[in-house]
Amino acid sequence: MKQYFLKRVLAACVALFLILTLAFMVVRLMPGSVYDDPNLPPAAVAMLEQKAHLDKPLLTQYGYFLKGIITENDWGTSVKVEPGIPAFEILKRQIPISLFVNLMSLLIALPIGILAGTAAAIKKNTMIDHAISFLVILGISIPSFVFASLLQYFCGFKWEWFPILYEPSADMAGQLHSLMLPIIALSLSPIATITRYLRGELIEVLDSEYMTLACTKGLPHYKATTRHAFRNASLPLIHVVIPMFANVLGGSMVIERMFSIPGVGGTMIKSINQTDYSLTVATLIFYALISVLTAFVVDILLGIVDPRVRFGGENA
Amino acid sequence: MSEQIKREDFVFLDADRTLFDETFSGKPIGFFKDALLRLKKNKASIVAFVIIVLIAFFAVAGPVFTPYGYNDQDVNRVNMPPKIPVLETFGIADGTRIIYNSRKENLNNPEKFPEGSVLEIVREYEIKNTPMVDVKVDYYIYSGHPDDYFIMGTDYLGRDLWTRLWRGARVSLLIAVISVMMNICIGVVYGAIAGYYGGRVDIIMMRITEIIGAFPQVIVATLLILFMGTGIRAIIFALIIRGWIGTAKLVRGQFLRFKGREYVLAARVMGVKDKKLIFRHILPNSIGPVITRAMVEVPGAIFAESFLAFIGLGLQAPEPSIGVLLSDAQKVLNSYPYQTFFPAVLISVLMISFNLFGNGLRDAFNPTMRGSD
Amino acid sequence: MTKKADMTEQETVLEVKDLRVSFKSIAGKVQAVRGVNFTLKKGETIAIVGESGSGKSVSIKTIMGILSRNAVIEEGSILYEGHDLTKITEKEYEEIRGKKIGLVFQDPLSSLNPLMKIGHQIAEVYTQNYKIPKAEAKKRALAIMADVGIPNPELRYNQYPFQFSGGMRQRIVIAIALANDPDILICDEPTTALDVTVQAKILQLIKKIKNERGISVIFITHDLGVVANIADRVYVMYAGKIVEQGTCEEVFLDAKHPYTWALLTSIPDMKSKESLLAIPGTPPNMIHPPKGDAFAARNRYAMKIDLKEEPPMFQVSSTHYAATWLLHPYAPPCEPPKELKQRVEEMKREAGLL
Repeated sequence: MKQYFLKRVLAACVALFLILTLAFMVVRLMPGSVYDDPNLPPAAVAMLEQKAHLDKPLLTQYGYFLKGIITENDWGTSVKVEPGIPAFEILKRQIPISLFVNLMSLLIALPIGILAGTAAAIKKNTMIDHAISFLVILGISIPSFVFASLLQYFCGFKWEWFPILYEPSADMAGQLHSLMLPIIALSLSPIATITRYLRGELIEVLDSEYMTLACTKGLPHYKATTRHAFRNASLPLIHVVIPMFANVLGGSMVIERMFSIPGVGGTMIKSINQTDYSLTVATLIFYALISVLTAFVVDILLGIVDPRVRFGGENA
Repeated sequence: MSEQIKREDFVFLDADRTLFDETFSGKPIGFFKDALLRLKKNKASIVAFVIIVLIAFFAVAGPVFTPYGYNDQDVNRVNMPPKIPVLETFGIADGTRIIYNSRKENLNNPEKFPEGSVLEIVREYEIKNTPMVDVKVDYYIYSGHPDDYFIMGTDYLGRDLWTRLWRGARVSLLIAVISVMMNICIGVVYGAIAGYYGGRVDIIMMRITEIIGAFPQVIVATLLILFMGTGIRAIIFALIIRGWIGTAKLVRGQFLRFKGREYVLAARVMGVKDKKLIFRHILPNSIGPVITRAMVEVPGAIFAESFLAFIGLGLQAPEPSIGVLLSDAQKVLNSYPYQTFFPAVLISVLMISFNLFGNGLRDAFNPTMRGSD
Repeated sequence: MTKKADMTEQETVLEVKDLRVSFKSIAGKVQAVRGVNFTLKKGETIAIVGESGSGKSVSIKTIMGILSRNAVIEEGSILYEGHDLTKITEKEYEEIRGKKIGLVFQDPLSSLNPLMKIGHQIAEVYTQNYKIPKAEAKKRALAIMADVGIPNPELRYNQYPFQFSGGMRQRIVIAIALANDPDILICDEPTTALDVTVQAKILQLIKKIKNERGISVIFITHDLGVVANIADRVYVMYAGKIVEQGTCEEVFLDAKHPYTWALLTSIPDMKSKESLLAIPGTPPNMIHPPKGDAFAARNRYAMKIDLKEEPPMFQVSSTHYAATWLLHPYAPPCEPPKELKQRVEEMKREAGLL
């Protein structure tokens, strides 16, 4: 177990290091200087560049870049979106609301997905199953921003059930109310994915020999299902649900912009559109961090939960 | 006993007759024919396939049906509502729009409201003693294009959205199909090499995919496009850089499974060369899953392209793609919902169709279903 | 074809009467079991022998009430303790399945839950079925693990299936079946997936358990060699029907049905020098079972009548029956193949020596 854990930590570190390197290269090798504002006198540019160690060899720059991130938490400074403010500060301010929206949508998706998936598997090949499968296809196929547009137009604009945009100045309940649409829009695809995955797993497990054994053991059907099938089918959900967090976070960039939520995603889009590359890279590093972390958590959880992985068994 | 038992029946049958049951009736069915037979039975995937073909047809030929180019801008016909022949008589897509807050006196001014443009006064009220109206107009007459038909309306630059939608679909499909095909090619070759040679080659090659796989797709794509600049090539490249890994893993798995099978060993013992072993004996087993995977990846690529357009990394104007259209329309969603409606429907239908067709293919190629009707 | 009173006066625990089971498939109705009769007496072991697809496993699944959804019990009855198992409700079945009739599967590799500790899978029987407290359940599980020959049960209790060898897993499956203390133990090809050396040990274990607990055993196999070791009576099944039945001696030394002859000559053994005789062809398509004797097409001794009329059960002795026209008074004299005769001689000599 310890060895497994160490291996995973190492893998996560390597991935993170590579992403940092890539991010660095993109920023530094990008055509044109970071400070190529025509309004700045060349001397000022030179000074700025010197301050940012841009006059040094690439490898030294890389050393400064890594050192900055590790020792001073220096993720670069925003140049255009919020000039002069360290990227880390901007992100620190915006992470909570991004996380909140994403976690909420997953929290909604999980129980609904599990319920629908179980219902479809147990009622396999009935009308219920077909109806659920149809909705699943819709949920998986239709992009979240199309859902978001639908919700925004109908539930927000036409019927006025919810505010069209996020209301930062409202009280807690009001804020939550205005966040409902983006949360729902983001949760539809996870619901569909969880449903489909759980249905498949559960059907396979229900057909397995050990389920038959559980029945011939004398367990009543519902007990055999809950004790053996359900547990075994939901464990692999870890594979889907946790990485989903990183995916949803990526998907939420667009949603955040559509509902003007002042989150990381919105900032990233702004920084891209205003060519504020140091801020873009900082947000990218944040997203990379999240996905590496989630991959790590999946591995560790699987290790804890699945004995075959834990003991390095044949089927690991 | 239904029949009489007769003594003469108790004689042995010809000893030389071949001892077998009834011969198998019917001809052997080949792998693809078998898959095709099962695919044909799956109605949803057939419908999906037809829809894909239709959309592809319109993506190629759609712009021809209108006299407008995809970049014909005209400030006099900005944000025209959709107007469709035949349907307009039923009050759907009839090119009307309600204009709010007009001074009532303007109604009689043919400069502001040309002859026949006013259909109905929706509301009358007063602001500061000035009589005001909300009025439903035939927007085509109102804006001076009584003879035009913009089936899907026009955008904020007066460009015909029908032409732009199909051109956008063409670009989106092109990006998706090219990137998926490249992914599949790279993945098959890479996976085949890793799986066939195994051992150290396999370990090193799989480590490489693990490292690349650790980068989240969105992040790699964003970094790459920032680096290369926007454009079709950058987007395709961004979709390939990490996209091939799935196929590589799939093919490698298939190779590992099949290369140990007795029939492959037998062929090898008989001196069949590597190349023939790979192409004749092992690779065909992977074709089904690979085709299925390709089908399922196409909507993924379409989605990724739209996504990039939404975050500002899409194609450069004036080139449309479904994502670019959606992203532009989003800004005016509440005023001109039709601009979102058509691309939204198209991308949804396209993705649903590819997913359904992919599901059908998966079931059709599923070896455990072989032979079952 | 009801059975006459047996030599032994032991009571009958299970009686299967004229059981017919078919499966709905798109191609048509597959008649998997076409009128099977057998009885199981207290404390005896019967073996049901036949090729794959002969309907053995389906019969067993019917008894256990675990048929798949597309299966239909056309007619017949399964009598156990005065109940007809084909008629009772699922609720009533739950009191019998496992608790009174235990089942050991063919494939121990996939029949244990991979994510549950071995010990819990056994103890579960006590805690869930009989509401025995956990500590006591564990004690009993450990005891039964020792009973089925698991060395070091304390350690093994907390391990997972993948840490067990095939033979050890099969012992666990047997332990799970025994934990309920059933009256009847059905073993569905319990040794097929195992190595030969392990097979013998599992057979010994089943024999030992039977003797110690006095339970009745139904043993399903396609391997006559296994049967000789363990069964009191043998039923030979072909194409969904019993074609020959009798005591172990009768079936091995004095078989009457050509199919049994074919089976017997196809057992590999160490002594016989002559080539093994494979049975030509494959079992018939059960969607359209052939008219007459289902075995006729593969039978070297087929007669004209076999193509027209299905043979009834002919009685050979009070315990020995066979369904072949060769036993009809009109039939021409017919001898079993000479390879078989040699083998039977061999077997008799061995038996005599022992």
